[in-house]
Amino acid sequence: MPPAIEFRGVTKQYGRRSSGEGVTALADVSFEVEAGEVCGFLGPNGAGKTTCINTLMGFLFADSGEVAVLGYPPGDVRAKRQIGFVPENFAFHPFLTAPKLLRFHAALAGLDDTVAANRIPELIAKAQLCGHEDLRIGKYSRGMVQRLGIAQALLDDPQLLVLDEPTSGLDPAGRRDVREILLSLKSQGKTVFLSTHILSELEQFADRVIIVDRGRLIREGPLAELLDRGGRVAIFVDSVPEEMETILSGRGAVIERGAQGVRVLVDPVLKREAVERLWAAGCDVVSMYPVRSSLEDLFLTLVSDAEKSQ
Amino acid sequence: MRIRAIALLTFSGFLRNKLMILFLTLFAVVVLLMMTPLMVFRAQAGAPGMPHAESMVLGLIGSIMSLLSGFGSLLAAWAAADAVWADIRSGTILAVLARPIRRWEFLLGKFLGVQLLMAAYVLMMLALSYLLAAIGGERIHPAPWLLIVYPLVRYALYSGLAMLLATVMHPVVSFAIMLVIMVAELIVAPASRAPYLPAWLKAGLYAALPSPELLSEARFLTITEASLKQTSPLHHLTVLGYGLDWALVFFLLAAWLFSRRSLAP
Repeated sequence: MPPAIEFRGVTKQYGRRSSGEGVTALADVSFEVEAGEVCGFLGPNGAGKTTCINTLMGFLFADSGEVAVLGYPPGDVRAKRQIGFVPENFAFHPFLTAPKLLRFHAALAGLDDTVAANRIPELIAKAQLCGHEDLRIGKYSRGMVQRLGIAQALLDDPQLLVLDEPTSGLDPAGRRDVREILLSLKSQGKTVFLSTHILSELEQFADRVIIVDRGRLIREGPLAELLDRGGRVAIFVDSVPEEMETILSGRGAVIERGAQGVRVLVDPVLKREAVERLWAAGCDVVSMYPVRSSLEDLFLTLVSDAEKSQ
Repeated sequence: MRIRAIALLTFSGFLRNKLMILFLTLFAVVVLLMMTPLMVFRAQAGAPGMPHAESMVLGLIGSIMSLLSGFGSLLAAWAAADAVWADIRSGTILAVLARPIRRWEFLLGKFLGVQLLMAAYVLMMLALSYLLAAIGGERIHPAPWLLIVYPLVRYALYSGLAMLLATVMHPVVSFAIMLVIMVAELIVAPASRAPYLPAWLKAGLYAALPSPELLSEARFLTITEASLKQTSPLHHLTVLGYGLDWALVFFLLAAWLFSRRSLAP
């Protein structure tokens, strides 16, 4: 089975390349998303996320490199039959109502009229637009449009969902609804490729994370692995003598003094050494537990490191 | 099914377009204003010294319809230039082209949507020409199909060219180029009396540009039934084939260029 999404050495520049005035949107980007994975696609504004998504959807053409979606080139009708897509800044024909828009998309998707007639009310209910069926989309709030966008992406039960900032413009309740939809898709074994800024939510259901910055891929891998890699071990002790604090700080430990005692954060490879030193120095080791860094911490660290290295 | 859905949505979008509503209002005002001389003429028709009533009424109707037909060419060019661009500008094209549809199918849907609009316009013109003839107390000699098919083919040609230009440039620039082409066609037509152009240039441009004169339905309005009979079916076939050929070439070129362009807003 081919990967759901495959980027190999993809480069894309905007503007005049010959005069050197071009802006590099993607620089030799390579990654894969396996079928059935929920993959978070992260990066600061202007990192190249939307360019990447537009390239995989066939809206833009890469200057070099190879892209495959479900084993087909971008824009291939055979791949598009299995894709549900929510673009960034979702836009629809404002004079249509939600049922008419969904009927239009059902016709484009080649859905049978009977299937569409059953599916549309179901999706309107899922998007919580019941009671607004006669309202033109031009009168919808941003959140309503966003929910309708997700509903149209689910119209023909796609195998791959490509979502570019699907939760932007949604209130916390709306974001929770989207999260539930994504969790249900994950349980059905669908592949989801999702660009978002809401990292805390992504952490709850993503299998894999790809982080880009300034058009370059700076980290990719299974989320659990990435978070573990950035994690530390916390050793809770009653007190730490000053000379021991100097030694541990020299080994990269972070000492946090509190009313209940002292928390020593060390790299997992140094945990045994730190515990033995503390014990030998007469400190009472109360507990020891792993501390996973959050996706947000990891993201900010990686982006900051990437900025420094450039 | 997909192409039809896009064509119908495009047509439906045009009917809600503010610029279109303004255009049709202007159309109605112009028509009302032009009815006045016809009514005056009819009032004087019985008076002595008015022997050529039929040719004068038909001539007047021909002038009105020529003007409206010219308006139609502008409308076809603007609608085609804006049809795809508006979707790219608003971003609606992304959700549409994410569906299992090829780019040329999308463009064909847009093109047919423009043709639906122009068909509605042609039917309005046809109804108007019969109304004007009734007001003038005369009858229209040519068969209705002539007054429908000729302008439709001409509008298909103009919309194809405008769509081709709009795939590579801004629609306003495309529309401006279309205006220049239309004016150039009038200047280089054999009937034109533009003395400031050298004959070789006129002949060259006449050969290179599509001829709206050939595809004009208004010329049939001013001639009598006897003259009409002299126009053979082969002539109609050749002229209409000529127009459709241009339209097809423009559309195919537009589809080829559109398949290679970026769709990011």
